Amino acid sequence: MEAIAGILQGFAVALTPKSLAFCFVGVLSGTLVGVLPGIGPAAAISLLLPSVLRADPASSLIMLAGLYYGAMYGGSTTSILVNIPGEAASVVTCFDGYQMARQGRAGPALGISAFGSFIAGTVGVVGLMFLAPLLASFALLFGAPEYFSLMVMSMTLVTYLSHGSQLKALMMAALGLILGCIGLDAVTAKPRFTYDILVLRDGIGIVPVVMGLFGISEVLLNVGATMDREILKNKIKGLLPSRQDWRDSAMPIARGSLLGFFLGVLPGLGPVVATFLSYGLEKRFSKHPEKFGTGMIEGVAGPEACNNAVATGNFVPMLSLGIPANAIMAILLGALTIYGIQPGPLLIKEHPNIFWGLVASMYVGNVMLLILNLPLIPLWVQVLKVPYGILYPIILLFCLIGSYSLNNNVGDVIIMWIFGVVGFLMKKFQLEPAPLVLALVLGPMLEDNLRQSLIISGGSFFIFFNRPLAVTFLLVSLCAVLFPLFRLRPLLARIAG
Amino acid sequence: MINADRWTGLFFLVFSLYVCFESWRLGLGSYFRPGPGFFPFYSSLLLGILALSLILFTFHGNLEKGESWANLGNILLVCLAMLGFALLLDWLGFLSTAFLFICFLLYVVERRGWLFSVGAAFLISVACYAAFELWLKAHLPAGILGR
Repeated sequence: MEAIAGILQGFAVALTPKSLAFCFVGVLSGTLVGVLPGIGPAAAISLLLPSVLRADPASSLIMLAGLYYGAMYGGSTTSILVNIPGEAASVVTCFDGYQMARQGRAGPALGISAFGSFIAGTVGVVGLMFLAPLLASFALLFGAPEYFSLMVMSMTLVTYLSHGSQLKALMMAALGLILGCIGLDAVTAKPRFTYDILVLRDGIGIVPVVMGLFGISEVLLNVGATMDREILKNKIKGLLPSRQDWRDSAMPIARGSLLGFFLGVLPGLGPVVATFLSYGLEKRFSKHPEKFGTGMIEGVAGPEACNNAVATGNFVPMLSLGIPANAIMAILLGALTIYGIQPGPLLIKEHPNIFWGLVASMYVGNVMLLILNLPLIPLWVQVLKVPYGILYPIILLFCLIGSYSLNNNVGDVIIMWIFGVVGFLMKKFQLEPAPLVLALVLGPMLEDNLRQSLIISGGSFFIFFNRPLAVTFLLVSLCAVLFPLFRLRPLLARIAG
Repeated sequence: MINADRWTGLFFLVFSLYVCFESWRLGLGSYFRPGPGFFPFYSSLLLGILALSLILFTFHGNLEKGESWANLGNILLVCLAMLGFALLLDWLGFLSTAFLFICFLLYVVERRGWLFSVGAAFLISVACYAAFELWLKAHLPAGILGR
């Protein structure tokens, strides 16, 4: 009942002309970002952040969230038409989507991915609506030790689920914790690692860091890279899937939606891993698994539904616990803290307009995307024809303006530039930026909760082992760190022997 | 593991030792009342241990070839253009700096014709000025030309 009252209150916020405009700009930019290879949602959110922060928190969150789930819709277009995923979560869609397009079935492929995304997005929002308040009321029982352990668990899970070496991901998390210490100490107000540089006194801002690590570095990686964009010349027709298409896709969409939402709630799982799992699941359930990769509509419907449900599921731990599930949620969490709002169990009680406004806007945004997506496909095809050599100077200029306009200070531009170069080097040395960003955002909170816990316990670390929840979270963290070690057993044996 | 991991590990090991030392100078405090250096000290200690593990693993695992470094000249030019933008922005003002920045990237890095580069740079910088300064009120610097 509380959820129904909340969602009605949310619609009162989401249906104002201002919120509708922000939601529209968000989902439209998201679709564009999804369509364009070479710029992902994390880069685009960080790029838009400085401009959006001028608006009120509810409007800016509505727009940035719209950008995130909008990118999931847009990503399928390039996967199907060009065989290049617009963003990482649409890699799987290339397998069967492009094959369908080659067989002259681009229309149904695009259509089912739009409808699948819509259904999954809506299922995800219903889940968010009921699960987040439940989790938030449970989290009200948390004290400093539980929060500390939960944050440790979140970070270790992110490193465990990282694409490359977990050891290197843990190193990046530790680096993020160190970078999070820069600025005035919260207790003693003593400057730490500031070296009399004024711009460092308030700490390293999350926005220039993520703009550098995700936006600039992505552009640098793509400078001069030849992007083979052979767009299908066949006319796209019949966007509405046939009855048989619906029959084949109904269950994959349902499975993708549920799987995506629950995987999205887990810290660390972005949409990429989830879409691969969904594809594998569909292959397993199919009567013709050997035909996957040759243009099966189930291979498009399941993963496309899944990536949208993950995007919505990711909001649950961020809004109810204040724990970002991935780098994009870390950026959104950073945006909320800039407004002085602390995401967590009290968010729903203290700022119901923001929480319920966001949830309601997701319903509205999903409808907008369904209406927008199909008629605008010819426009996105034209956008794809813009050469990257012309596009990236504009992207860079937006980043430079964005970082300057944060505080009208060149210092932020320099920080963004430094992190852009660092991000580029990190990708070349196969070091992941996501654990660094997550640790940078969580670091100050982690330190604060650790200090509080130690003061409460009189300096004893046993406080983390006396409380059942805290010890559970720490055990999960320990497993996340130790599991890969078992895979390294042969290597350790060789070192020892 | 890639070839460069040994050097990456060494870099982070030295970095962590430096942060440990700086944190110790800040004051570690006690477990009961942690000082400002407490958290960065243990974070850098963790980084140091992980970096050392990375170095050790590279001596005993099969190392793969890392990423290719093709097109480094252009990447360097783009980096320099951005740094130039940051350094010139306050003095030269937004419009002129943005014009020079886009012109440089299109003409020098992308090797487009000069007429196209100048025309596109003019249009992009004016459009950005209109969007950010006039519409979004971003207060971009006017520089010497605006005074």
